[in-house]
Amino acid sequence: MSNRFWPQAFAIARRDLDRERRSGEVAWVTIPFGAVALLLVPLAVGINQDVLSRIGTGMLFVVVMLFGVLTAVRQTNIETPAQRDAIALLGVDPVAEFAGRSMATALLLLAFQVVMGAVTVALYGLDLAGWEWMVVVMPLTAIGLAELGTLSGSIAASTNAGPALVPLLVTPLAIPLLLGSTQTVESITRDGVNLSWLVLMAIVVLVLAIVGVVTARPLQETR
Amino acid sequence: MTDATRRSRSWLDIVAVAAVVGALVFAMTSPRVESQGDSARMLFIHVPTIWLAYLAFAVTFVASITYLVTKKLKWDLIAGSSAEIGVVFTTVAIIGGAIWGKATWNVYWTWDARLTLTAIMLFVYIGYLALRRSIPDPEARARRSSVLGILGLVQLIPVHFSVTWWRTLHQSNTFRPRDIQMDGPILAALLMSVGAFTLVYASLLRHRVHLAELELVALEAAAATEGPVAGDAVTAPTIDSAGAGE
Amino acid sequence: MLSANAHVVFRRVAARIGVTTILRDVNLTVRAGESVGLFGSNGAGKTTLLRVIATLLRPSAGEAQVLGTDLGSSDRFSIRSRIGLIGHSPALYPELSLAANLEFSARIAGAPLAAANDALETVGLGQARDRLAGEASHGMQRRVEFARELMLQPELLLLDEPHSALDPSAVELVEHIVAGVLDRGGAVVLVSHDVDRVAPMVTRTAELTGGTVR
Repeated sequence: MSNRFWPQAFAIARRDLDRERRSGEVAWVTIPFGAVALLLVPLAVGINQDVLSRIGTGMLFVVVMLFGVLTAVRQTNIETPAQRDAIALLGVDPVAEFAGRSMATALLLLAFQVVMGAVTVALYGLDLAGWEWMVVVMPLTAIGLAELGTLSGSIAASTNAGPALVPLLVTPLAIPLLLGSTQTVESITRDGVNLSWLVLMAIVVLVLAIVGVVTARPLQETR
Repeated sequence: MTDATRRSRSWLDIVAVAAVVGALVFAMTSPRVESQGDSARMLFIHVPTIWLAYLAFAVTFVASITYLVTKKLKWDLIAGSSAEIGVVFTTVAIIGGAIWGKATWNVYWTWDARLTLTAIMLFVYIGYLALRRSIPDPEARARRSSVLGILGLVQLIPVHFSVTWWRTLHQSNTFRPRDIQMDGPILAALLMSVGAFTLVYASLLRHRVHLAELELVALEAAAATEGPVAGDAVTAPTIDSAGAGE
Repeated sequence: MLSANAHVVFRRVAARIGVTTILRDVNLTVRAGESVGLFGSNGAGKTTLLRVIATLLRPSAGEAQVLGTDLGSSDRFSIRSRIGLIGHSPALYPELSLAANLEFSARIAGAPLAAANDALETVGLGQARDRLAGEASHGMQRRVEFARELMLQPELLLLDEPHSALDPSAVELVEHIVAGVLDRGGAVVLVSHDVDRVAPMVTRTAELTGGTVR
């Protein structure tokens, strides 16, 4: 790891967040889109309060997975070949690029989850028992999903299928995050804190970080 | 390619086909399972197909790592070919399992952990194949897909744990496909069938890798010293000033 | 053994994009202090050649050395920060201001932010620093890229159609930057189809046709 690692990682993260701040795609497109999805579910399955409060947490994280992927895809989507060339010639450390992008996406996903969480509580009349654990669950989900999205994004970058491929790569592999986040909350309401799900999520975050670091250079070789 | 390799390939084909025929005969003549009737004979197809799926994806994983270490394109061809075979067999296993499930328990699908995992695995490798399709350059394709080949399998471990835990927590009346009594003749027929399918896998893999190698050779030949370069297709514009007013 | 004191040494280099062969049998040597102009018609492979020299596209055959490093090896990543490339489509982030774009390059490359400011002044964009790149003209965006190269001072500068979208005053700027690189002992390769405008900046010219340099 070079001594320019963290400055580069932070510069990348800052760039991504600045671009989001100006374009507002997460704030004005992804969040409303996710909220509409949460609104559609009761229309489709009926407005039985028992049913809604039972499926609420699960629906929240399904929406977070499916729509959160859009946030991760966006990076691949908006980067032009010229921009990729330019950043390569600035001598960016590919590991720093992975770290910086994951950090920015994780922050955006966390914000997305918080808003979606509030929408779900309001629309589905959720009982908030166990929700204090969201303080741990949501960041773990955000980081894991961001890592997975960044990795898949750089695997699919500048291929013919490009951004369309990323959701297919991310979604099946995100299942431990989906199950971990819903089951943590559910297990608390059922039989007290079950830390094993959180441990599993933490391991996923760690494993993805290792895969991201180890494969950053082989992936750079393809450019 | 030498004559010896060609000969050994056709020998493998013959042995594989013979083994499958033998296994089928064995399976059809094995004692009938009274509790399930003849539909239990699906076992002899179902278990080997699912075994092959796992074997094929494990080969993809190992070949992906080997490619990244050795940078020899052959390993990537093995990884890709094996994944293709794995996807075919996973699909067969899922569809076959659904038919068997319908015949035995009157449902096509159950949220059994193993079944759910198999379905997830199928989607992971469909993504892998989609990635391969989208990269024409052999070397770039090899790099990117080997990274995905590794990520896919590594991440399947937590996927496995999460799905298994999830099922244990929500234990309802899970169907147990393994409640068939495995006594001598049935077990022998099953093992034969697994062995025969493995030979089929080996034979398919060899053919598929060979085909991929031929594709690569054709690609190299097309890019070799003779023949036009991309720019040759561009000629000076032909502007006919007399016809401009038409 | 390839010559060590040249910035670019290509021997029978070939390159392809996907399965399409673009370059073949390219022989090219660019020594330190030299500025080489490469000319060719549309589709001759000018841009591809620049991308190969810039380490962005790996040669599919032949021997290629840039800044003393073999392009076939993975060492090629270590020389990237010593190479500057101005391609023909702008590489700026449209959502960021012109200054923010340059400051991002400075942060990644480890250059002081003050240098970014100075460079922006030099290219005549001091007043327009807060304008979003997406709302700036093509010419202004190109000037920002020239400012980036002024700031980063590459040893090898590659220019793809440097005159497109530039007004006469900016053309002088290009000449100034090229002279600066040569003064520091660096080398410049520029490709163009406009022989006349590029001629004053180059010490040597070559023609790219049929996928090879003549």
